[in-house]
Amino acid sequence: MKPFELDRRSFLRRAALGAGGLGLGNFLPQLLGGAGSGRFSTSGKAKNVIWLFMRGGLSHMESFDPKPALNRYAGKTIAETPFGYVQDPERLKEVRVVVVNDANGQQRNEIYPLQIGSKRYGQAGAEVSDWFPHIGAQADDLAIVRSMWTTDDNHGAQVQFHSGRHMLDARVPTIGAWVSYGLKTLNRGLPEFISMGPRFFDKRDGHYLGPAYDAVPLSVDPKNPLPFANPELELSNEEQRLEFDLVRRLNRLRGRQYPRDRALQARSQAYDLAYHMQTAIPEILDFDRESAETRSLYGFDQDNTRSFGQQLLGARRLVERGVRFVQIMHGDGAAGAWDSHSGLKSNHSKLAAQVDLPTAGLIQDLKQRGMLDETIVIFATEFGRTPGSQNADGRDHHPFGFSIWMAGGGLKGGVVHGATDEIGFHAVENRHYVTDVHATLLHQLGLDHKALEIPGHKRLERDFGHVIHDIIA
Amino acid sequence: MKRLVSIFALSLCLVQGSLFAAVDYLRDVKPVLKARCYACHGALKQKAGLRVDTVAFLLEGARSGDVLVPGNEGAGTLLDRISSDDLDERMPPEGEALSGEEIGWIREWIRGGAQAPESESPELDPADHWAFQMPLRKPIPGRSGTGEGNSSGGRNPIDAFIAAAHEEHGLEALPSIAPELLVRRLYLDLIGLPPTHDERQQFVANFALGSVERLVETLLATPQYGERWGRHWMDVWRYSDWYGLGAQLRNSQKHLWHWRDWIVDSLNQDKGYDRMIQEMLAGDELAPTDQATLRATGFLARNYYLFNRNTWLEQTIEHTGQAFLGLTLQCAKCHDHKYDPITQKEYYQFRAFFEPHQIRLDPVPGVTDLEKDGLPRAFDAHPEVATFLFKRGNEKEPDESHPLPAGVPKILEWEPIVYESLALPSEAFFPGLQAFVLEDRLRDADREIAEIKRRLKESGDVLETEATRSKLRALERLPAALRAVHHADRIRHGLEEGHDLDRATKEAALADQSYRVALAESKITALKSEVSKAEGKDKEAEKLKQAENALESLKQMFAKEPLNYVSIRPALKALESPAETDESRRKPYSHSTSGRRASLAKWITDRRNPLTARVAVNHIWMRHFGEPLVEDVTDFGRRSEEPPMQALLDYLAIYLMDHQWRMKPLHRLIVTSEAYQRESSTLAASKLSLERDPKNTYLWRRIPIRMESQVVRDSMRHLADELDLRVGGPTIDPAKGENLGRRSLYFTHSRDQQHSFLAMFDDAEILACYRRTESIIPQQALALVNSRLSMELADLVAKELSEEEGLVSDEAFVYRGFERVLGAPPTEEEEALSLSMMADTRRSISEQVSGDVLTSRVRRNFVQALFNHNDFITIR
Repeated sequence: MKPFELDRRSFLRRAALGAGGLGLGNFLPQLLGGAGSGRFSTSGKAKNVIWLFMRGGLSHMESFDPKPALNRYAGKTIAETPFGYVQDPERLKEVRVVVVNDANGQQRNEIYPLQIGSKRYGQAGAEVSDWFPHIGAQADDLAIVRSMWTTDDNHGAQVQFHSGRHMLDARVPTIGAWVSYGLKTLNRGLPEFISMGPRFFDKRDGHYLGPAYDAVPLSVDPKNPLPFANPELELSNEEQRLEFDLVRRLNRLRGRQYPRDRALQARSQAYDLAYHMQTAIPEILDFDRESAETRSLYGFDQDNTRSFGQQLLGARRLVERGVRFVQIMHGDGAAGAWDSHSGLKSNHSKLAAQVDLPTAGLIQDLKQRGMLDETIVIFATEFGRTPGSQNADGRDHHPFGFSIWMAGGGLKGGVVHGATDEIGFHAVENRHYVTDVHATLLHQLGLDHKALEIPGHKRLERDFGHVIHDIIA
Repeated sequence: MKRLVSIFALSLCLVQGSLFAAVDYLRDVKPVLKARCYACHGALKQKAGLRVDTVAFLLEGARSGDVLVPGNEGAGTLLDRISSDDLDERMPPEGEALSGEEIGWIREWIRGGAQAPESESPELDPADHWAFQMPLRKPIPGRSGTGEGNSSGGRNPIDAFIAAAHEEHGLEALPSIAPELLVRRLYLDLIGLPPTHDERQQFVANFALGSVERLVETLLATPQYGERWGRHWMDVWRYSDWYGLGAQLRNSQKHLWHWRDWIVDSLNQDKGYDRMIQEMLAGDELAPTDQATLRATGFLARNYYLFNRNTWLEQTIEHTGQAFLGLTLQCAKCHDHKYDPITQKEYYQFRAFFEPHQIRLDPVPGVTDLEKDGLPRAFDAHPEVATFLFKRGNEKEPDESHPLPAGVPKILEWEPIVYESLALPSEAFFPGLQAFVLEDRLRDADREIAEIKRRLKESGDVLETEATRSKLRALERLPAALRAVHHADRIRHGLEEGHDLDRATKEAALADQSYRVALAESKITALKSEVSKAEGKDKEAEKLKQAENALESLKQMFAKEPLNYVSIRPALKALESPAETDESRRKPYSHSTSGRRASLAKWITDRRNPLTARVAVNHIWMRHFGEPLVEDVTDFGRRSEEPPMQALLDYLAIYLMDHQWRMKPLHRLIVTSEAYQRESSTLAASKLSLERDPKNTYLWRRIPIRMESQVVRDSMRHLADELDLRVGGPTIDPAKGENLGRRSLYFTHSRDQQHSFLAMFDDAEILACYRRTESIIPQQALALVNSRLSMELADLVAKELSEEEGLVSDEAFVYRGFERVLGAPPTEEEEALSLSMMADTRRSISEQVSGDVLTSRVRRNFVQALFNHNDFITIR
């Protein structure tokens, strides 16, 4: 397929033709990939990403950035504490409001105490809340970043976390799309970018890169894992094979008549890939092929952990076979299940219990298989929650400071990077905008994040982000 | 090797005394200046009196003095400014600093004497940019005179322009494609459906001079033409049905399909493109009471955005600029345009055209519930509202000291833009005056009365009956009230002559008040019966008390205002923000419109506007040929180089305008050209042509086009004779409506609703789709192989082919199958492969099925394979 390579520049020129004009360039990444042969250098430590995203907004203070000061000042207004300055309008001005006068996304002034205790874990003594004991136990493998910030005070921040752009701006490619654009596939028979779980605000990824860079949505049901994965009417495997085979041969014949028709050649390859995908994916999602021990590790034994555990084990099996980027969204509903404007305690304790054990299991499993060095696991959410209370027993959206963590792929373990102030309001030390996470991932994958741009679609400085060098091993 | 290179480099250093010895101005310095400095120090702008687009200019320096002195790196300000750490000092002020390497090249070049190339020419004056000049009539090559758009008596002018280019570049054009593929190309291109067997036979069997022309006339006259090309323009004008969060409407408008129907109708009527633009931007100002025209303003309604008026208007500006003018106006929102002569102030002046407008739903005849149907349309809600420049584009920093009048970029202003406020006819600002509104309300009232009477007959519950009776008493007063109110309002607005307004007002008030009192009383009666049922329920008692109070205050008000009545207000303004109250949405509308949008539309569609016709022609050309004449269809600004076939583009632009901006003559001219009818196989191409013009810039061959997703689905249905060709109507839920068999453009298409099969083949992006993406991804194969849609349709095609006479044998079936699905019979090899696949399939399932079932399954599978053939989804 080398001839395609030669013409890439002209494809990229065409890509400049306004949004959505990428033309034939789209088939390149999926079809050109010899193992790891990307658009750019691929000498990175990491090869794959498993991206876990808690939809709705996980409280940073009740997960990876516990703030005992909240207990001390509980019931006081922020103005009454020594930290009244955090609400100085000058320090709040980065926020861009989507829903004017919304009931949510407001300042919450009365300090709400922590709803769960915390412990120190690992050699670094990282403080993690008691809702995440299993993840806590893996602390020596985690790089916790406690100084994230974003600018959307509503759940469009999910769009922002994935693309770097505010909900009110144009939709641009997400991190998964950029990774697959930049690196292409490690395998010849599977998509390079897969997503599982609910999405709401932005269901596409490629945007101006084209639908070839959209995540392929996958469900863990081996009987129906992909859209159109199985015949919707009766058609045996053998019949289907004969159909595919005839199509391949007829297209090849036609290729003699149209030797310059690159689309025709690409389509032939797409058929091969399709044929392989529909047999390979059910096999990957056949968890009976894993030992009972492994399945337990992912929480298959319990009702509340099984669903997320299956997605994670599926993710491991996918990256094992060379899928680049597996994105798993957790938490149903339009806003996302973690969105606890009231009843935070019951909400977070329930949801944390769904993800804690399987996530820890994933890290252990990757580690014992020697895969953690090449796989980055990231655990993130769109924003944190307010130190102040909302509706008596909840917390509101909080874009000014929140936490995420990453593990594996050549990142340091057992580090806590950055900090919020004493009441968890602002990220104050080593502040990181959301795209800094993207830049770090890309760096570990061996991509120059600044090179990811195509003519006609200028990226902003902020879109590129900055690599968080402090957490790189 | 590496070592050798460094030794070589080292020796250069020694010779020239520097690592940058090989510095070359054109290669190393000028590109840096061009990329980072020209925007402010070039032809567009000369900040600080400095230009840097030639060495001569650099030597002239800035107002403040020398910028560089050849041979003396210590003199002049250039090097200091580009290497400064002080952000207030550093150049360029935006973006990152120049890299050390770039600064190094510049330093070395200065040190080496700032050598200039011979005859270096400065940047072109922005006004001289090709696309900012009006297209001029030029002689058609090989003909005397300009031909004035008349192709009779000679070669198609398109071919004359192209032949001249071939001669110049030494290219050999390919011959015409075979008639059976030509007929498929024409059908798919013009109406988006493949020909039927008979249609193809008729064309191929009688192929002669004039056949194409006759077929084109037929196709352009079918309503399917408007649907096919309507979908193209829906892409360009970014059609999207409403979406939001749950039931909350946030983007676009309900019932936007009225605009889609207007697009299809306008194309089928061959309405001028100039008139189309005028109606889309200002239909409400040009034909204020004509709903058929008002539909067009769906173009503006589509940009509606609940949460932020600025975002809404930014979208309107951006897409008006790109769709009609090929101008990237949006680049001037925060600062002056970096490439084009458009200032930030001009951006906001452009915004001022749109500032007064808002969107509302008007009632349509026959429907009173706006949830069920209504007409989304633009109107000037605030004709006098001011527009301010936002400093740095920040909506929180409006420059309120300088209200801006509406205006266009100076560079494109050939005469002053004028507009004046226009008085609207009363039925336009007061839709309740229309006759159909009264009729529809009366019909509703009659229905409700009849329904209550029916219930009364059936009901045995005495209390409920009492409540119902009281409701009936109220309702029976409604028709008289409606009539009287409507009558009085029409007199008041001068629509009924020879009537006494005072008397009519009194009568209206009497009838309306009597109805409203009766209605309030009936509520009380109903609540009393509730209270008696639900004993001790405080809630009901409280409601009753409220209702009684309401009646009391109503009576008091009527005593004070004996002429008070409530007019019929059937329209509903879209929320201007989430904070707007329902009451404010129902306030009377302004009696005038600003005339701003009409004047903008007039300017866009003036023959002197150098952009409009060219941009339209480029879009049309791209959809016929697969590639445009100007590469970036959205940007004809200075970044868009002079197109290689500009003479042709300009000829066609003038042709469009000369034909009253009607598109059908242009389509006709294009598809009857030799250029259009050429072969796309390169087997017969000369090596020279392939080498000299591999990208087909000069159109010596055709390139294959992937069908848009809508054409894929519609073609499959049409081949199976399962396509319902009714035109127009409300959108169809894509999750439920597949079995209706309507054409694909009728499916609801929004951020949240897309047809899953269409989405797989690059459906239109709703935010901007000036050019459809053409991706080739494995999921497309899965959709064609595994979807119920494709399997069922393949089965139907197979059955139909089998039923045709003489198709008992598989050989005949294969032959016909190829013809029907791909447009041409199979080659021997293809036939052999197909037959062997059918035989293998037969064997593989002969144990499960037999007889006719077996045959039809085998044939279905074969047709499905043809659906998956590259040439099915390709326009050859």
